[in-house]
Amino acid sequence: MKNLLVLSLGAVLLAPAALPQDAQKPQDAQKVTIPFRNPSQPKKLVVDTMRGSVTVRGYEGQEAIVETSSRNPGREPRRAAEVPAGMHRIGSSTAGVDITEDNNTVKVSGGFFGGPADLVIQVPVQTSVSVKTMTGSAVTIENISGEIEANNMNGQVNITNVSGSVVAHSMNGKVVVSLNSVMPDKAMSFSTMNGDVDVTLPADIKANVKMKTDHGDMFTDFDIKVDSTGQPPRVEDNRGRGGRYRVRFDRGTTGSINGGGPEIQFTTFNGNILIHKK
Amino acid sequence: MTCEQARLQMLGETEGQDLAAHMASCEACRNELSRIGAMWQSLDLLPLEEPAGQVRQRFYEMLGAYRQGLSSAEPRKTYRWWQLAAAAALLAIGLGIGYGMRGNGQVPAEVSQLREEVASMRQLVALSLMQQQSASERLRGVSWAYQAEPSDREVLEALLTAVNHDTNVNVRLAAVDALRRFSASPETRRAVVEALPSQTTPLVQVALIDLLVDFKEREAAGALKTLAANRDVNDGVRQQARWALEKLQ
Repeated sequence: MKNLLVLSLGAVLLAPAALPQDAQKPQDAQKVTIPFRNPSQPKKLVVDTMRGSVTVRGYEGQEAIVETSSRNPGREPRRAAEVPAGMHRIGSSTAGVDITEDNNTVKVSGGFFGGPADLVIQVPVQTSVSVKTMTGSAVTIENISGEIEANNMNGQVNITNVSGSVVAHSMNGKVVVSLNSVMPDKAMSFSTMNGDVDVTLPADIKANVKMKTDHGDMFTDFDIKVDSTGQPPRVEDNRGRGGRYRVRFDRGTTGSINGGGPEIQFTTFNGNILIHKK
Repeated sequence: MTCEQARLQMLGETEGQDLAAHMASCEACRNELSRIGAMWQSLDLLPLEEPAGQVRQRFYEMLGAYRQGLSSAEPRKTYRWWQLAAAAALLAIGLGIGYGMRGNGQVPAEVSQLREEVASMRQLVALSLMQQQSASERLRGVSWAYQAEPSDREVLEALLTAVNHDTNVNVRLAAVDALRRFSASPETRRAVVEALPSQTTPLVQVALIDLLVDFKEREAAGALKTLAANRDVNDGVRQQARWALEKLQ
């Protein structure tokens, strides 16, 4: 376990403790760059925050660039974390964000102490991303190719312009996902307690779909072959008037698209399910 | 010393008086010895193969996944069972083939052996996928569970572990759905009732409640009443619990 790279944001700024006035300015964005040890090998980004929004964006580069802006920095200085065995502290952070790199996995965690931190993280496009947030604002993931997992307790999940596979959940927000292409054989799942599940899939996707909404409707412009055990869908044919051909399902339905394939699950309690053809 | 003895000795220790004496008298063995020497030399010339960078990462990923598996419920039993299952399956196949070879057209027996083999394959796939690090892979594992035999206790236990312990909400949700396949077993019903109070994610709570209604599980009334009365629980969930109580009466 050599070279475990530990960076605290505070260490990157020159002695932030010596500049308390500066640290208390709102939106004092801090930026830190972390290299992946083997850029040519599979990379992973893991984000786990308590409070604040998270934006992950793929870019044409080889490193992870983490920008954080604390909303009320300095008010509640973060308690120093335990030093892991075999490592030493490079510096302490007041932003409450810790970043580590180990075996091509960059981990960003924060917001547990101090004020909420809004994170904007740029990673190479080919990176698997896993984001988990508790309270706060939206989780946004864009321009990524890899396995994506997102879990937002109290905010929206927006995953757009991605390819690979997506497993996303929000407790109290919309889940909006748009996939350009999917990895074959990958199972996917989109769910929320309170909100719409709005998913755009490639037109040629092969999948078995399972949809369930307790207090909402389901809409799609895909030609979904509904299993005979499910209830028959209601068809709205507006093509004659230049509109779309829509199939409306009742709650709890399974079916297949383009002959079937890996399973994709859509679940919401209070909301609609919308499955768009890209 | 005979040539045969000499050649056996050549493969190990090439020194010794007996061997030297034999070498002096036998040209064929001298040639053989130099041939072996040359081979060892050329083997030495081969470059040492270094493991590629990702081998380490893969190993630790695998180790991590394995440890994760160990930390979930009753892992040792699971692994021992796998070995037992593999051994039993092989024995069964062997017996099946033996019977088949004896002739007399024992087709139904062969078919049932084959079916057993396929079932244990599906079980292996489902169980190993459900222990992967990636949520998408674990979801695939859960969907394989739909193809398991409804009497397959190992798959049932893996699903219950996922329902109670998986870190990903979507995997827990899928696992709850997959339990429908095991509705015949009273153990499933009891486990679902027991899972209800420890589950904190509203969407999974709702899925469990729906499952209990589908099971027509009257034993669930107590757990449902507790849930409906708990003000800390999500309103939608409490509403669903009240609805379920009415349905189950």
